[in-house]
Amino acid sequence: MDPKKKEKIITLLIILPALVSIFFFYYCFTGWNFLISLTDWKGFIPSYNLVGFKNYVTLFHDPIFWTSLKNNLLLILLFVPGVILIGLILAVLIDQKVRGANVFRTIYLLPFALSFVVTAALWTWMYSPRVGTINVLLGKLGLGFLKSGWITDPTIVMYCIIIALIWQFFGYSGIIFLAGIRSIPESQIAAAKVDGASSFTLYRRIVFPQLKASFVTAFIIFMCFALKAFDFIWVLNRGGPGYSSHILGVTMYKETFALDKFAYGAAYSTIILVLSLVIVVPFLYRLYRR
Amino acid sequence: MRILKPSRIILYILLVLFAILTVLPLWSCVVTALKTSKEVIFTTPITPPLRPTLVPLMESLDYLKRPLMNSLVLVGSGVMVSCFFGSILGYVFSKRRFRGSMVLFILVILCLYIPPQVQLIPTVRVASNLGLHGNLGSLVLLYMLFGIPMCAFIFKTLYDDEIPDSFINAAKVDGAGTWTIYRRIILPLSVIPFVVAALLQVTIIWNDFIWGLVLTTGKVNLPVTVAMANLKGSFVAKWNLQMAGALWITLPTLIIFIFLGKYIIRGYSGM
Repeated sequence: MDPKKKEKIITLLIILPALVSIFFFYYCFTGWNFLISLTDWKGFIPSYNLVGFKNYVTLFHDPIFWTSLKNNLLLILLFVPGVILIGLILAVLIDQKVRGANVFRTIYLLPFALSFVVTAALWTWMYSPRVGTINVLLGKLGLGFLKSGWITDPTIVMYCIIIALIWQFFGYSGIIFLAGIRSIPESQIAAAKVDGASSFTLYRRIVFPQLKASFVTAFIIFMCFALKAFDFIWVLNRGGPGYSSHILGVTMYKETFALDKFAYGAAYSTIILVLSLVIVVPFLYRLYRR
Repeated sequence: MRILKPSRIILYILLVLFAILTVLPLWSCVVTALKTSKEVIFTTPITPPLRPTLVPLMESLDYLKRPLMNSLVLVGSGVMVSCFFGSILGYVFSKRRFRGSMVLFILVILCLYIPPQVQLIPTVRVASNLGLHGNLGSLVLLYMLFGIPMCAFIFKTLYDDEIPDSFINAAKVDGAGTWTIYRRIILPLSVIPFVVAALLQVTIIWNDFIWGLVLTTGKVNLPVTVAMANLKGSFVAKWNLQMAGALWITLPTLIIFIFLGKYIIRGYSGM
């Protein structure tokens, strides 16, 4: 056989096992999940009927769905820009040739090492109304009037969750932007300084416009973490009090595994998938178009 | 880029303030884990313990001993398999491109952005058909697959940057085949990519929660994060016990981040 052809076949053979198994796991299961969402399958009872888009119709008439969607969008709209903005500020601060920059960087990155489960445990303790760190400290500082029920208060629980998530990721965000700033050639900055640019102008005109790649990276990573916030919220308070901090992932889990409505849960999953693809696909398209 | 002298004081104040905010919950966790239940109530959550005690640490370790071992098994098996397949995919996508390989690569990357909720139900179904639902075997299999796209991505970008195509072409001229090039040239130059990918997988698998929650039942099968969530649920007011448990889970990843953090940063940057 022609050796070139042989090499091609070997190449295909060595990537095939991995490709087939991950495509099976990721794509076939995604398709399967969509098919399940078109049935009335409940729990582990093997028999089910196709019911078309009935689950989606039920879903769109379900107030809990709209609450979850609203919370999910709130989470994305506050968490993602919040963590990017704070990260950017932090990167500019560390970039000022500070002493011990590495120590600061390591400290800021620490929360990123934690599991969502651990973060949830830490913040349950921080937010605990009676003995928790925040309320006790506020009391000691003479700011007792700021005390609050935090995660037990349905009106602010989502904001408490968003703050905790920003705490976990802002240091990492800072490091993404710091890497972006450091990759700008020194000569450009020197040239701008010769022209008499102030620090402020320097950042606004030279540095920030060149951070586009970092922005995109940060946006997409934090977007994914926002969609994975299920772990955190589930361990923190199971989406409570009531339904006040349900996001789509939480509702999906409850419908499926607590109420055994597998088909209905699958419809929720499909919505979550659509939500994330709407955001990610344009990004990947732009990134790899060339 | 230096800003004016007087403002440098403000700069350091801000940096220290950020550092305090970062450390506060962690500090509160450590000191609380070392207190007796009585002391937790009678001291503020940030004062160091007057008489440090190891009882909560021991008690929570007792609760988490088996799950810690389980997670160790999951990390060990998952990391090795996904790194191996990831490096092969990375090698082919970086150095052995063929028509359509870019499309395949994008399909692999897209896997990273499929939320886990989508696969939960089919996975549970398959696991129960295989008789693996509820025990650790299902998670072992899952984590072997689960990390491959991420590893493939890391290996491809690092091979693109670090191994010049001329190496490969020279070997081709000498008549080396695809597999020989991988074994003789790529693998020996892959130490750093393997470290980056492995560390990332270790933290991801160790910290993962939702799959353990759905796929395992019974105390002997739980990974450590699920056991921790149960501990949190069953000892609601025992803050010192909860914090001690959190400390045990965090210790391995925290050590990795403090000493090997630069490799992890490399793995995530450019994603």
